[in-house]
Amino acid sequence: MIVTYIITAIIVLISLLVQSHPSFDVIRIAGVKPDLIFIIVVYVGYSFGSMNGQITGFVSGLFHDSVSNSPYGFLALPKLTVGFMVGMIGRSVLKSNVPTIILLIFVSTLLKGIITLFLSYIFTQGMLSSIIHVIIPEAFYNALLAPPLFFIFDKVFRGELEREGYL
Amino acid sequence: MDFFERHKPIAIFISLTLFCIISLSVQGSGFTLTFEGIMSGITMPFQKGYNGIQGGTSRLWAGFSELDRVKDELELTRSKLQTFESIDVEISEIKKENDRLRTLLGMKEMLRYDSVPASIISKDPDNWYRTLIINRGDNDGIKVNMPVVAYQAVNNGDVRELVKSVVGKIVEVRGSVSRIQPLIAPEIKIGVKIGENRFPGLLSGYTYNSNLCVVNYITRAAPVKFGDLVITSGQAGVFPQGLVLGTVVKSELLESSPYQRAIVKPFIDYNLLEEVFIIKKAPEKDLFELFEELK
Repeated sequence: MIVTYIITAIIVLISLLVQSHPSFDVIRIAGVKPDLIFIIVVYVGYSFGSMNGQITGFVSGLFHDSVSNSPYGFLALPKLTVGFMVGMIGRSVLKSNVPTIILLIFVSTLLKGIITLFLSYIFTQGMLSSIIHVIIPEAFYNALLAPPLFFIFDKVFRGELEREGYL
Repeated sequence: MDFFERHKPIAIFISLTLFCIISLSVQGSGFTLTFEGIMSGITMPFQKGYNGIQGGTSRLWAGFSELDRVKDELELTRSKLQTFESIDVEISEIKKENDRLRTLLGMKEMLRYDSVPASIISKDPDNWYRTLIINRGDNDGIKVNMPVVAYQAVNNGDVRELVKSVVGKIVEVRGSVSRIQPLIAPEIKIGVKIGENRFPGLLSGYTYNSNLCVVNYITRAAPVKFGDLVITSGQAGVFPQGLVLGTVVKSELLESSPYQRAIVKPFIDYNLLEEVFIIKKAPEKDLFELFEELK
C-alpha cells in the first residue's frame, strides 16, 4: 500500500504544479479550468476505498489550500467528503467503463461544488451564480478529461489493482 | 475501542471534517493558544454554522415578508445617496482648488512612486479564487495593499498603444514571493470614477470565472455608456488617483436597486499577463482604515 501512497503523492504534486502554472490558464473553457487533483481523489476513492479516498482528498486539499488564496480546509473539506463517499461505492459497485466514469466524475464534481458553495456562504463570500459560472462548467470539463486520465491511472496503479483483484 | 476499530473510516472522516471546520473558523479571527482561544475554537464552528443557517433563512424569509421594510430602506438610501453626491461635488471642488493652489505655489502636480518589476510565477490552481503569485516579496520591500500595475497593448482606432493599467493589489507577502488579488476577483473592492463626468462607484470582480469586473453604486442619473473609461478614485487610500482600469461594456439599471451598475472589461488580459510592476506606495492609513470599516 505504501507504493500507492507514494505514487498518489507524486501525481498530486505534479497535478498541483501543472494546475497552478500560469500557462495552464490558456486551457480555460467557459472561464474554468479542470481540477486534476480532484480527479485523482475520485480515482483513489473509486479504486482503493473510502479510507484512501478521504486521506488523499484531505491531504491533497490541504496542499491545494496552501497554494490557493483559500483558508485552510476550504478546498480540503469538499475533496475529503467526496473521496470518502466515492470510496463507499467504489469499483465493486460501479463497473469501470467510459459512461460510468464520466457520470461518476460529473456527479462528484457537482457535489464538490455544492459543498464548496455552502462553505463559501458560511466562511467567505458566497455567490449563487457560481453554480452556473463555475460548478457546472467544471463538472463538464472534469467529466471530459476523466476517461483518459482514469486509463492512465489504471496503467500506473496496475500492480495495486491486481492485488485488490480488480484486474 | 472496538467500536472505533470497526468504524475506522467513519471515525477518521468525522475527525478530519471537524479539523477542516475548526481550521476554517479560526482563520482570521485572532485565535490564540489560550483556554479562551481553544474554547472559542471549539464553539466558533457551531456559532458560525448557526449564524450562517440563521442568516440564510432570514434572507430567504425577508424576500417574502419584508418588502415594506425594504421599500422604506430604499427611500432612506436614496436620501443618503443625495447627501453623498453633494459631498462628492464638494470634494471635487476642493480638489480643483487644491490643484490651483499647488500651481500657484509651484509644487509638483502628483507624487511619483518607485515601482518594482516582477514576473508571475504561479496562478491560483482553483476556479474559486483568481490570485496571482509573483517573484517579489518582503525581501524586495513589498508590503500588503501595495497597488500593482502592468502595461497592456490596446487598439486605439488604427493605432496600437501601450496602456498602463491596474492589475490588482498585494494581499499576502512572504520572503521572496507575494500574492496579488486581481481586479477580476469578486473579493476585491476599489473606489473608481466613470466617464467624463467622473461619477463614483465601487469596482469588484464580476464572477469567479469571468475576466470582467462590475462597478456598483453608480447613481441612476449618471449617463454611463459603452466605452466610458474607468479610473481609480484614490479615495480608499490604496490606489493612487487616476490609474486606468478598463472600459464600460454594458450598463444595467436594476429594478430593485436605487443605483445602476456597469460591467467593465479591464485593459489587462489576465490569461496572458506575465510581467507586472508593484507601486511602492503604502496605503494612506486613515483613509484605508475608514474604508475597511465601511466594508
